[in-house]
Amino acid sequence: MRIALVGNQNSGKSTLFNTMTGDNQKIGNWPGVTIDRKEGTVKGTNHTIVDLPGIYSLSPYTSEEEISRNFVFEERPDLIINIVDATSIERSLYLTTQLLELDCKVILALNMSDLLEKKSLVIDEEKLSSLLHTSVVKISALKGSGIDELIKLIDEGRILDNPHKKIYQEDLEEAIEDIAKGLEMVHSRFVSVKLLENDVKFASLQSKDIEAKRHQLEQKYNSDIEEIIANQRYEYVVEVKKQCVVKKEYKETITDKLDKVFLNKWAALPIFVVIMFAIYFLAVGVVGSATVDFVDGLVGKFSDFMSEWLASVNASPWAVSLVVDGIIAGVGAVLNFVPQLIILFICICLLETTGYMSRIAFFLDRLFKKFGLSGKSLIPFIVGSGCAVPGIMSTRTIEDEDEKRMTIMLAPFIPCSAKLPIIALFAGFFFDRYNGLVSASLYFLAVVTILISALIMKKFFFKGDSSAFISELPEYKLPNLKYLLRDVWDKTFSFIKRAGTIILLCSVIIWFTLSFSWKFQYGVDVEDSILASIGKCLSWIFYPMLGELSWGATVSAIQGLVAKEQVVSSMAVIAGLADDVTEGALIFSQTGIFGFFNPASAYAFMVFNLFSAPCFGAIGAMRRELGTTKKTLIAVAFQTGVAWILGCIVFGIGSLIMLL
Amino acid sequence: MKKRIYNKGEECHMSDLIKGQKALVTGLHGDNLALRRRLLDMGVTTGVEVFIKKIAPMGDPVDIEIRGYELCIRKSDMRNIDVKVI
Ligand SMILES: Nc1nc2c(ncn2[C@@H]2O[C@H](COP(=O)(O)OP(=O)(O)O)[C@@H](O)[C@H]2O)c(=O)[nH]1
Repeated sequence: MRIALVGNQNSGKSTLFNTMTGDNQKIGNWPGVTIDRKEGTVKGTNHTIVDLPGIYSLSPYTSEEEISRNFVFEERPDLIINIVDATSIERSLYLTTQLLELDCKVILALNMSDLLEKKSLVIDEEKLSSLLHTSVVKISALKGSGIDELIKLIDEGRILDNPHKKIYQEDLEEAIEDIAKGLEMVHSRFVSVKLLENDVKFASLQSKDIEAKRHQLEQKYNSDIEEIIANQRYEYVVEVKKQCVVKKEYKETITDKLDKVFLNKWAALPIFVVIMFAIYFLAVGVVGSATVDFVDGLVGKFSDFMSEWLASVNASPWAVSLVVDGIIAGVGAVLNFVPQLIILFICICLLETTGYMSRIAFFLDRLFKKFGLSGKSLIPFIVGSGCAVPGIMSTRTIEDEDEKRMTIMLAPFIPCSAKLPIIALFAGFFFDRYNGLVSASLYFLAVVTILISALIMKKFFFKGDSSAFISELPEYKLPNLKYLLRDVWDKTFSFIKRAGTIILLCSVIIWFTLSFSWKFQYGVDVEDSILASIGKCLSWIFYPMLGELSWGATVSAIQGLVAKEQVVSSMAVIAGLADDVTEGALIFSQTGIFGFFNPASAYAFMVFNLFSAPCFGAIGAMRRELGTTKKTLIAVAFQTGVAWILGCIVFGIGSLIMLL
Repeated sequence: MKKRIYNKGEECHMSDLIKGQKALVTGLHGDNLALRRRLLDMGVTTGVEVFIKKIAPMGDPVDIEIRGYELCIRKSDMRNIDVKVI
């Protein structure tokens, strides 16, 4: 059996999906769009369950709604589990009324039932079931209660049929039934409603008769049809709620109390700054860099061990070089940063699941609007400090098209976790005591660049002034340890996997192109290698920010397109082969190939790598969200242009300061 | 300019309400159809009761309580919603 999981945002869908599937899940993409498509097998059964995007309605106004609709129409699931936040039942049941119009069985999973008592709510689920003529189960996805019952219900097929209960007033109901009679297709009741609403998706089925019916109804209610239908759905829901839900007393909720502090007129901003600083301090600052040194030491020991071991088994010099200078140097340079990333991912996950992220969007909206962005732009920026790809994907929640596009183009400016290695390497070596300050300044520079770029874009490209911001303010929730661990593990694992695949492959290729000449002779001087000759052709591009024609820096920066951390790997491999060093700190030894770097060019080179075109993964995500290749190319050119100009300016100013 | 405060029974736009006021929605207008539909889907329909619960520290957007949950919305969008103070 194929089951679709449908529900509002924040209804606990991901939590339920994880609880129901355990470890049997795979993540793919919806055809044509980047939203994650999660599919899994329900524990202890062979039923497939698909997690649909969080939606509030099945109207065609957002891409999430469209995806869900297409899924139901094209892939025809056998059952829909409608997950409902039991503490917010009125809004949730609105979507339910739409799902119940489909020709598909629906189970209502009343989630968050563990919170009902605290909110002094009592829900009579049997009554609800008999009113809606559909099966209802009370669950708590978080605590795990009711899940076995839900699975058993599905497995035994004891699901009430969906008899399409009448929910509208008589005249509207008649019109819908009349249209449905003329339609020989599945979901005919649902389609009839959409035809009355004049939904573009079904324009081919429109007729004069339907138009007349619509007109008649609009006249009678003195309103337009979408409003009439929405009104009557909600009237029905309110009636149902009245009969099944009892609210005992009103108490000030914990959320209200917390918001008095976190959304306080004076305290909100300082608290936000403190939280951001704490995250930065943990992930990038003192704590983060301590962990890097530790892992770096381990990698160094491993490298020594391998080279001794290979020598002891009489491996040929090129094999030792491939393993030590190519693979370990390249992959190790990236793996150093895993602990830092784990800290960063934990912080971001906490911001998201506790509900604080929605508050940030809420109170900064006013400020961001001035720059042509939305408060919700902040979510992509914060998520983007982990990885730009999910960051770019999370721009979907931004209603306004202009604000959304600008956010997509600007989000890659935020230093993502893969850029951390670059910052750590350069700032650590050249700014020693001021290391923390310098890396902080880069984040600050990123924010300033984003805001200034936004102003420029708004002035010249995105001139529309309509905008909207509609979002639910979810309650504060305690984070769930299991969910947190899983989320952090998934992200960390995918980073490690990249180190083991793309970075490994690149490191081997670089080692190869560095060790061989165009005549495929091994052991030539690096200056005569294939890679060096390619780099030399292009090194003029970086002259204005390095003050030196460096083929090594040039090819490394270009490899940032594959993955930003590859810049560091590449430098480690090049320095290792050129100068016989393997340890990170020795990359910049005075006599070595990167010995020309000084604080000014180091800062400039960091700025360029941070702000220039993001990695291919992020460019792909931009392409999908922006919709056309042309727009994507413009965005990438814009980013690289900004990066180059900033790099040159920084080098100029830096060199002046150093002269003084 | 001092903001005019609307009293019980008076009609105005939702954006004119101040923190702590309650009102009934009397109609939606504006020509952004997608926005309108989204408001309807989120439960902003004629006759529904709203309560101005929180206002962002910088004065915009506003958090309203509606149908038992909280909805954030910009003042400029609230101008498209007619209400009657209760
Ligand atoms: N108390 C409680 N919290 C829950 C329950 N299910 C989910 N949550 C929390 O609700 C928040 C949103 O859940 P999530 O699964 O991310 O929702 P989604 O947006 O629908 O995928 C998270 O903080 C969860 O920990 C539940 O049954 N009880």
